[in-house]
Amino acid sequence: MSAPDPARALLGRRVVACVGAGGVGKTTLAAALGLGAALRGRRALVLTIDPARRLADALGVGALGSEPRPIPRALLERLGVPAGGELSAMMLDMKSTFDELVARFAPDAATRERILGNRIYQHVSDALAGSAEYSAMEKVYEMSERPEFDLVVLDTPPSAHALDFLEAPERLIGLLDSRFVQLLLHPAMSAGRLGLRLFQRGAHQAFRLIERVTGFGFLEDISEFLLAFEGMSEGFRRRAESVRGLLFGPDTAFVLTTAASRESVSHARDLLGRLEAQHAHVLGVVANRVRCWPDGAPELPPPGTRERWHERLAAAFRETAGEAFPAERAARAALDVLDGYAAAVSRDAEATAPLLDEAARRGCFVRRIPELPRDVHDLEGLVEIERRVFVTPGPRAETEAK
Amino acid sequence: MKGARPLLERRLLVVTGKGGTGKTTVAATLALAAAARGLRVLVVETGRDEHVPRLLGHRGGPVGHRGAETPAGPVVLRMEPYEALAEYMTLRLGVPGVVTRLLRQRAFRQLMDAAPGWRELVTLGKVWHLEQAREDGRARFDAIVVDAPATGHGLTFLDVPRVVVSAVRSGPLRRHVRWVEELVRDPERTLLLPVALAEELPARETVELVARLREQVGVALDRVVVNAVEPAPFPPELPDLDRRLAALPETPGPEPALWAACAAHLAARHALNQHFLGEIAEGTGLPVVALPLLASGVRGPDDLRRLAGPLLEDPA
Repeated sequence: MSAPDPARALLGRRVVACVGAGGVGKTTLAAALGLGAALRGRRALVLTIDPARRLADALGVGALGSEPRPIPRALLERLGVPAGGELSAMMLDMKSTFDELVARFAPDAATRERILGNRIYQHVSDALAGSAEYSAMEKVYEMSERPEFDLVVLDTPPSAHALDFLEAPERLIGLLDSRFVQLLLHPAMSAGRLGLRLFQRGAHQAFRLIERVTGFGFLEDISEFLLAFEGMSEGFRRRAESVRGLLFGPDTAFVLTTAASRESVSHARDLLGRLEAQHAHVLGVVANRVRCWPDGAPELPPPGTRERWHERLAAAFRETAGEAFPAERAARAALDVLDGYAAAVSRDAEATAPLLDEAARRGCFVRRIPELPRDVHDLEGLVEIERRVFVTPGPRAETEAK
Repeated sequence: MKGARPLLERRLLVVTGKGGTGKTTVAATLALAAAARGLRVLVVETGRDEHVPRLLGHRGGPVGHRGAETPAGPVVLRMEPYEALAEYMTLRLGVPGVVTRLLRQRAFRQLMDAAPGWRELVTLGKVWHLEQAREDGRARFDAIVVDAPATGHGLTFLDVPRVVVSAVRSGPLRRHVRWVEELVRDPERTLLLPVALAEELPARETVELVARLREQVGVALDRVVVNAVEPAPFPPELPDLDRRLAALPETPGPEPALWAACAAHLAARHALNQHFLGEIAEGTGLPVVALPLLASGVRGPDDLRRLAGPLLEDPA
């Protein structure tokens, strides 16, 4: 009866990318997946963006470092990680700007200085074509090439559109290849060919328009910037293409995460569609912090029996709690608690159903992770989550899923 | 901080916060409450998807960049940066045909797709324009609520005018952006409303956001809205109801132990939220307005009405 756990397919990939809007528990999920891989004998690296401080401490990445830090063997053994299983963590520094890339790809010191000193570059390099996102993707690529890791689990940054991150290489290639940019770079050279000449006429008009709107000089700065950039665009493009190839190729699996709110779920459905359109391999969808019944849910009062339940409870309170205890009121309050809890359980089930049903139809594995009474910020908490992802659901969870 | 002005006296309310905090819910609630007081209200959504129209009772297709009036009263539009750009350029140049052709050029699109900042800039520019708009001799909108992009991006959103003013040396663009910057920084007209959740990560992020806003943007802040706070599960005179339930003998029907587990869960969530409410207040030095987590979820105007009261209360 038991098919192999579909979540285990994650373990065969080189990169597992956790995507979703901000605030849905991506970081925690990424850490839990990394731990899950280590528990199954893999050497995993978790690349995280902005962990809650105590989670960072638990992973041993409290201090920002640009190198992976292994989690001590003793700690992992305590959790049951077998020999051969390893877990490292590293903080992706989103604040490291383009400067590093410029330094790497600039053909000579003069070009480097010209770019770094450019007025436009200084103001916009942080945001240019998602440069921070691009730098981070570079790092993912670099780490996935390292022989000491079987699997890199990536926590994507909480950008307004989580996919900005993944599309950064593509946008950068698009920008460098854009004829608009080419024209800014070589206005004279490209004049010879007819198609380009026609285009150029349009572009000239465009330049004039932009200058009238923006004020003279702005475009001059841009074009000077792009000119300086040109010497390094080839190395850049090749690299950006490799990064893209890794992300959307067969070596990368995506796990989509959502919180249980309607807003978050609708965002996640949109993301799922966009990922599929990019032919990304979405293996699983995880609804996080869903209010569920504790194991072995209480029986709800059948319709019409509420008063009898109230009576019974009040009687039980009277028996155990003594004369002074307001047994009636306590019984009423207890029924209210149950009603509120039941409403929240069906609220979350209804909110997540459209996404989870759609994901199941598309062949993804689907998980609901219950809301925990506290924040997850230690390895034990991660184990609890990891079990919900990798361990084949028991009969109870199966009934729940249907 | 004493004597914060009532929220709805501001013309421009910019709602921001980490994704998933429910800033859209807060924006929609503000708009609904303002409309209920007879104000002419506009809501500007800046995300890719539209959520506010549905929350305000709108049925049917997307309202888009042109916007539509919702059954609850406010007009809602979803900002489409390329359209706002076209509007601005047409205003400047007076020849729509040329602008349309330029915007259709693939090469121009490629450049703009990669260029930073302009989306935020045209969005704010359009908000400025709408703030200035007049009708029948008075302001067309009494209140404009902007559901700003998630923070990280939210900070950039308000900071873009300052960056542009320092990057562009002269000309009309610089002049226009200065107007926008003045609006953002005018405490009489504009208030920024950060929305947080009372959990570790969003709480920390909110504290950092407020610090950076004060340092960089100079926009007025007078409270933090904390959304989805688990209400106290038990009446005050029965603070240990969960333990009392756990101590009950087995009865037919309700199983006290499991019942107690539900109660304990709610109590723990409540305590967690209360703890981080305190951290947010302390870390930002701002009063905190707590909105209750609704067991029903937030589906439409009726649910928003239940949030409007706590949202408009004087911050504690």
